[in-house]
Amino acid sequence: MKLLALALAVIFFVLGALYGLGTINFLTKSGTTHAHHVSHLVVCWVLALLSLVWYRFQSSAESTRR
Amino acid sequence: MTDLQALVLALLQGVSELFPVSSLGHIILVPSLLHWTNIHRADPTFLAFVVLLHLGTALALIVYYRKRWLAIVRALIASVIRGRLSPDRDERIGWLLVVGTIPVGVLGVLFEAPVRALFGSPAPAAIFLALNGLVMFGGEALRRRQMADSGRVDRPIEHLSFAQSVLVGFAQSFALLPGISRSGASMVAGLLCDLDHEDAAEFSFLLATPVIFAAALLESRYLIAPDAHVALLQALTGGLVAAIAAYLSVAFLMRYFKSNDLRPFGWYCLLVGVGCFILSERGLLT
Repeated sequence: MKLLALALAVIFFVLGALYGLGTINFLTKSGTTHAHHVSHLVVCWVLALLSLVWYRFQSSAESTRR
Repeated sequence: MTDLQALVLALLQGVSELFPVSSLGHIILVPSLLHWTNIHRADPTFLAFVVLLHLGTALALIVYYRKRWLAIVRALIASVIRGRLSPDRDERIGWLLVVGTIPVGVLGVLFEAPVRALFGSPAPAAIFLALNGLVMFGGEALRRRQMADSGRVDRPIEHLSFAQSVLVGFAQSFALLPGISRSGASMVAGLLCDLDHEDAAEFSFLLATPVIFAAALLESRYLIAPDAHVALLQALTGGLVAAIAAYLSVAFLMRYFKSNDLRPFGWYCLLVGVGCFILSERGLLT
């Protein structure tokens, strides 16, 4: 679970950056006509942050078990 | 847009965003009914005006639940610092809200534009409004049957599971369809998860606050769009009117749901939806 949380954080961070840079346009309002998809970037980075919080909870639970 | 139109739209937004009757459906249907042909929903000036209406509505919700939000935010920060969940009520509700907001956040960003392009005209909005009414009737009937058959009892918000919170959040996403109410859909889902009407309404309003606020912030670029000629005084007055209307609406609804259910709103949506659909088919909606 800890690894999954970290992997999700990295994936969402990279995905957000790619949307922000305009490298990907999947399911965006304006497609390629608009270079930077801010909404998608924000949602991806919020999900990355939540994945990191999940990672923190998992790490803490693991150290308590030890 | 005239001052009167701005005032009507602000009142409509403030009230219908929180009453379970679909603000988007009303924003589409009312100008069509009144033949306001000078209002174009894709016009940057109109979009900038709508951003301020949404900000006003979100601020009203934040002010109404200010003590609850303060406690929730404090509890969330404390739990992240601590690195584990505690049985604290505010913390539990906070994480339920975070988890419940994910579906509408993701689906909203991905599908809002195509869905509105497909259904953002009077006839589909009228059909979905009628459907919204049927959903409320169905939800109330199902809840009564659940209570009678399995002897279930109401439980407080913090006893929801995270899966149930996701379900309520997912139900909220149906409000992307013009005519389906955000609060109506999430309240019905809350009722089916054994919340009583008051708690279902409160959870629905708490769940709606970050979504409305974030949507307004993300769309705030329209305020500075070069082709948006915002009449500043009109837009600010609109935002203020929407905020006051939203505040009074939430205060009224929280009192209303202490002892009443969704059926009156179901009748309203069904009748207005069917009526508007008939008018639309006869070419009486512009």
